[in-house]
Amino acid sequence: MQASSKQLYQYPLHLIFHPFDGYWELKYERNQRNSLLIAFMILVLLVITKILHAQYSGFLINLSNPKYLNSLLEMLYVIIPVLFWCVANWSLTTLMDGEGKFSEIFMSTCFALVPLLLIHFPWIWLSLVISAQETAFYYFSNALAIAWTVYLLFVGNMTVHQYTPAKTVLTMLLTLVAMAFMAFLCLLFFSLVQQIVSFVVTIYQELVLRG
Amino acid sequence: MRRSTWKKRKSIIMGMICLLLFVQEAPYVSADGKTDAYHYSFWGDAVPSPAAYEATTIITGKKLNTTPMKEPSDMHVTANQHVFVLDSGNGRIIEMDRNFKLVRTIDSFEQEGKEDHFKNPQGLYVTEKGHLLVADSDNHRVVHLDEQGKLVKIVSEPKSDLLKADFQFKPMRIVMDKGERIYVMAEGVFDGFMEFSADGTFSSFIGANRVQVDPVEYLWKRFATREQRSQMVMFTPTEFTNLDMDEEGFIYATSGDRGKDPVKKLNAQGTDILRREGYQTPQGDLLYTQEAGPSRLIDVDVGDSDMYSVLDSSKGRIFTYNGDGYLLHIYGGIGNRLGQFNTPVALERAGDRMLVLDKALGEITVFQTTEYGRTLHEAVRSYYNGDEDQSSVLFAQAAEMNANLEYAYAGIGKALLRQKEYAESAKYFKRSMEPKGYSKAFLLYRKELMREHFSWMMSGIFLAVAAIVTVIIVRRQKRRTTNAGIK
Repeated sequence: MQASSKQLYQYPLHLIFHPFDGYWELKYERNQRNSLLIAFMILVLLVITKILHAQYSGFLINLSNPKYLNSLLEMLYVIIPVLFWCVANWSLTTLMDGEGKFSEIFMSTCFALVPLLLIHFPWIWLSLVISAQETAFYYFSNALAIAWTVYLLFVGNMTVHQYTPAKTVLTMLLTLVAMAFMAFLCLLFFSLVQQIVSFVVTIYQELVLRG
Repeated sequence: MRRSTWKKRKSIIMGMICLLLFVQEAPYVSADGKTDAYHYSFWGDAVPSPAAYEATTIITGKKLNTTPMKEPSDMHVTANQHVFVLDSGNGRIIEMDRNFKLVRTIDSFEQEGKEDHFKNPQGLYVTEKGHLLVADSDNHRVVHLDEQGKLVKIVSEPKSDLLKADFQFKPMRIVMDKGERIYVMAEGVFDGFMEFSADGTFSSFIGANRVQVDPVEYLWKRFATREQRSQMVMFTPTEFTNLDMDEEGFIYATSGDRGKDPVKKLNAQGTDILRREGYQTPQGDLLYTQEAGPSRLIDVDVGDSDMYSVLDSSKGRIFTYNGDGYLLHIYGGIGNRLGQFNTPVALERAGDRMLVLDKALGEITVFQTTEYGRTLHEAVRSYYNGDEDQSSVLFAQAAEMNANLEYAYAGIGKALLRQKEYAESAKYFKRSMEPKGYSKAFLLYRKELMREHFSWMMSGIFLAVAAIVTVIIVRRQKRRTTNAGIK
């Protein structure tokens, strides 16, 4: 299958409106490399949207201090949850006989994020021309985007792992638990590393000062 | 060639220097070099600010040509700016006039033909008529004297079913409203202020602080056995630390440790009606170290136009808020310089001056407003009185002296809104982080813009739609012909 530039945007758009067909194609019919490329692009675009949103969206909806805006952190706020979700989902589904490979999980997750991108990106500029009463539209469309994404995640999970709907819901909930667990482990790990580092530094300083 | 590389290098170096400048945060500098005045921005950062008050003099017992004050604990200033100080250690009241000249001292009063004295009195209140109310703490009573110092009545040992049998009445602070009801803050009373009717009988409690329950502690308590529970600390509401009454008879109260709201404005029913529309709720310092802990507010003074100041005993700072709860200015501190205190206990405003009573040193520090402080107060006053034009002019002046005073920009925005300068107004509201005002100004600006440009915008949209439709039709037509050709 040839990846023309038209396909790059047509396929994700097709997928979010016809998720069952789209995810089926993603798993069985499409060129994996192209899809992976698109998935990465979606992630990058989402990162850009997030950063632009934090910096430029109207102040009625954006109450973050521009002084402390850190693009790298904003990037992590997008990438880490996605990565955690994928890893947790993969770890779980290997145990729960899911059929998905890691790359498939990653792709399906990224494709599910397209509504967030599509809805948030125009709002960066729209939010500049709304009044306080009209922020209701913003919050509504925000909720809509999240609901859509969750629905896509659900369909994606179901198709990729070939699960029943009930099992998919269970897996998704367990994935959230696993994510929390992973976050805990990461914090534990980093705090231990920090302590080891500070211990070594202390010993070094002791040696230097004695010597 | 060489020159161009040098140029390039120069621009890179300049760029790096600029970056370095940006990385390093501007060092904390006080605005006028003399005081440590600061302010909190919308984001809760401490930002420099010019001083609103400057310490001018210190009043001691020696200056008043009398014996030194010993652990004075309360102070009151009347409408004609006479200052009454309760000199607890000496059991007397000192009255001085507006120029801090001694008028009289009251150390005794006559009760049924006998001379009676105060014993470690803690609270003092002077009514509009000049009547004196003294919380005579160690005598467990409240003494009410008239303007000559003659006894009117004594309130002691309240009797009520609401009180425990072994209740010991130890009044600490006191106020009286226009209906001569007395409100007493007594030691060890957690149910709020004790309200006494005009004849001195106890009527009820008002304005109790709610119990603040720590959820973790609550969980522990649920699992604990009865014996363990009896060893634990009880959930008790926080005690009030002080109270004051404004012109309309509302009680302003402060509580010691920071629960949810350390400052309260109580109406006659005892409900808290303090407005907290400001960037942060009135609570003293926002930033503090873990060791020092939050501000401990121990006195409140209500001035005119709903402005009120609270005194933080842990850092010795005075925070002034307006009626909406916006922070106006901060000054004072613990230290040895003029304008700093050792153990501040009481705060009173006398016109343009602010007096702070120091318990350990037995002296009063007198602060005088600076030009900035006067401008700001005047602006708040005119806004309170409904003179918005005047207030916006004054707010603009204040903002000129203190660019960090975000609150002032809203005042300018309001004026611009009335002058139909919607775009400018929205800009000022945004600077003031005032979404409501911004939204209002912006809506009007948008309407204006739309009205102006509606015709060509609409025709543009119409043309665009028409163009798209034609393109689609033409394309379809073409496809049909080519398809037909293939067939």
